[in-house]
Amino acid sequence: MSSSTLSRQASQPGTTQSRNANAGLSLRSKRDALSGWTFSAPFLVFFLVFLVWPIIYGFYMSLTGKSLTGANDSLIGFANYSEAFADAGMWRSLGNTLYFTVISTVPLVLVALLMAALLNMNLPAQWLFRLSYFAPFLLASTVVSLFFTWMYNPQLGLINDFLAKIGLPKVAWLNDPNVAMWAIVIATLWWTVGFNFLLYLAAMQNIPAQHYEAASLDGAGGWRQFFSITLPQLTPTTVMIVLLQILASLKIFDQIYQMTAGGPGGSTRPVVQYIFETGFTGYRLGYSAAISYIFFGLIVVVSVMQFVITRRRSA
Amino acid sequence: MKQFETAGRQVSRRQLLAGSAALGSLGLMAGLTGCGGAAQASQAREIGFWHLLSGGDGIKMQAMIAAANQANPGFRVHPTVLAWGPPYYTKLAMASAGGRPPELAIMHASRVPGYAPGGLIEPWDLDLLAENGVRPGDFAPRIWEKSQQDGKVFSIALDSHPFIMFYNTDVAGKAGLLETNGQLQQVSTPNDFKAMAREMQKVTKARGLSFGYLNLGSQMWRLFYTLYKQHGAEIVLTPGQEMQADRDAAIESLEFMASLFDDTIAAKSGDINTGIAEFVRGDSGMLFSGVWELPTMKKAKLPVDAATIPTLYGTPASYADSHSFVLPRQLTADADKRRDVYKFVSDILKGSLAWAEAGHIPAYQPVVQSPGYRQLSPQIHYANAADIITYDPESWFSGSGSDWQTYFAEHIQNVLLGRDKATTGWDGFVARTNDLLSRPNPV
Repeated sequence: MSSSTLSRQASQPGTTQSRNANAGLSLRSKRDALSGWTFSAPFLVFFLVFLVWPIIYGFYMSLTGKSLTGANDSLIGFANYSEAFADAGMWRSLGNTLYFTVISTVPLVLVALLMAALLNMNLPAQWLFRLSYFAPFLLASTVVSLFFTWMYNPQLGLINDFLAKIGLPKVAWLNDPNVAMWAIVIATLWWTVGFNFLLYLAAMQNIPAQHYEAASLDGAGGWRQFFSITLPQLTPTTVMIVLLQILASLKIFDQIYQMTAGGPGGSTRPVVQYIFETGFTGYRLGYSAAISYIFFGLIVVVSVMQFVITRRRSA
Repeated sequence: MKQFETAGRQVSRRQLLAGSAALGSLGLMAGLTGCGGAAQASQAREIGFWHLLSGGDGIKMQAMIAAANQANPGFRVHPTVLAWGPPYYTKLAMASAGGRPPELAIMHASRVPGYAPGGLIEPWDLDLLAENGVRPGDFAPRIWEKSQQDGKVFSIALDSHPFIMFYNTDVAGKAGLLETNGQLQQVSTPNDFKAMAREMQKVTKARGLSFGYLNLGSQMWRLFYTLYKQHGAEIVLTPGQEMQADRDAAIESLEFMASLFDDTIAAKSGDINTGIAEFVRGDSGMLFSGVWELPTMKKAKLPVDAATIPTLYGTPASYADSHSFVLPRQLTADADKRRDVYKFVSDILKGSLAWAEAGHIPAYQPVVQSPGYRQLSPQIHYANAADIITYDPESWFSGSGSDWQTYFAEHIQNVLLGRDKATTGWDGFVARTNDLLSRPNPV
């Protein structure tokens, strides 16, 4: 309960006593406010210094020709933006990012749902499944990238060796432009699906058992129960998982940088890597900032669209 | 407050923390004095030194630094090792732009044109260098020429490390390809080279040549540029203008490279690790790679010799770069530390026989001409590379580990895999380069 509510309840207008009480409580309320600000200050300082200020300064930088070498930081208006809109490299990397987002989000949600549904069937040794599904999520991206790179190795890799043993042709997992992004999605799926799985499992275990009992009495089978009880009850969780997953997938960088460095032929280069390359290895910080803001705009558009869709659905 | 029982009396947590801090300080002092006596510790100036040498190179460099530190009680060089490529060069550029970089750093000579014009590195004082016994005449002409930008010396080369050809003497011997002096027969045409590789393949039953290139622009570029320069052709990169290059020479070089990957001469699907592993296993007779792989070959106890890449198009040429010392721009330079840096660099150059053991060709000629170097084999068999080395075409975006080499791979990998024509790949790369040249020059 807030202090202002307390003071409203305590005060009786028109009496001296209430005025004194009011003044005393107001002082207390100010003191409380001061304590609140003091306790919040460390976070606020970090928020302002490391988030708000960089956002403002980043936008200012996108209007300059600033270079990593310090040369030419004069204002050049929206020249960087017009150059970026005409830059085939930026559009291609944005396309790669969206492609990855689409082809990764769908399996990352569906597989997580499937895994949670299977585990929710009261299998024996549940702890083992929970551990093995979630454990990969705890690994660092470097570790995951390294062993998938070895497994995908066209000559020495475990996967091609297995394919050869069952009579299938070898696949150039990370070296074929048509396959490389899928190979990264497979690695990402193995690595991160555990997080979504855990959210789904927690939500499933919160669905009241009475719903299922009632449905059973009405003669509903397992599939009917899943589609008519489980899935609708999971809607808020699904919305949250899809939102988090889309944002996570849009920010893809680590595993791609480590597994293919954006290759082959630039077919897996995400926009975050393009921003990194133009800014840090290409020295053009101003231009790189402009691409960052275009990407930021895209994320805002995606988030608003999703917000509108989910609001319409819940209305 | 929680109390801690020690030696029959109670101490508070605050007292314990204060005591720990005091002990820590003593420990720090002890650590410093342990490096060479109390008097030395109080006087030794700390010199920061960034480099990108890892593996066998890193171990050699660490030993050379330790030797220089021991010989010079006045300073102590602290190396910081960063990952090769973009991680190293971005950090060095940012530290220099901020004016608080280390006193000394190693750069590839080919990257200097991206750093010197923007003032990220400072020129060397030749007089101060001469005071330490190092003069321009002590360097091979090609290397010394490369160390300059606009008439000023911006880098002091430690070595040149060309792209060369290792070969397995057992395999070559069984294939009847060794001369009477025990070295590989010389070939001078692309077809003769391929015939030689096929002879070796008959011995290994696997491949004739190993060359790992997949997803690695620098590897593709090293071989391409060697072959391209053997045509006597040039590439000129001038900001604001289109790239000048010999298209026919480029196409011929690319088509030759692509013709190697037929899974008999060389494996189509080899990255750098599998390429080296294949050669080390004895599954091929030759390996195209950098001199820095020599320690790996020695460690594997492979019967290995080496030579420069055969001259297949008339003009001897070998892609190379140099590990070079540079002075990152200091906000406030300390004159004493600067002098220490000159002394340290001259000591390292004079002791670069140790560096040659790692496969590199020392830039400092008195070492190359020393009896010690003459006894290093197979180093001596490719020492002639210093006369034919060719660095990357100069621009702010080219050089070892640059994005430009990655862009090369983006257009050329499919050519080497047989999916694109050489003309398509090359024209795509030229268009990409022209795009870079048309953009504002950030340095």
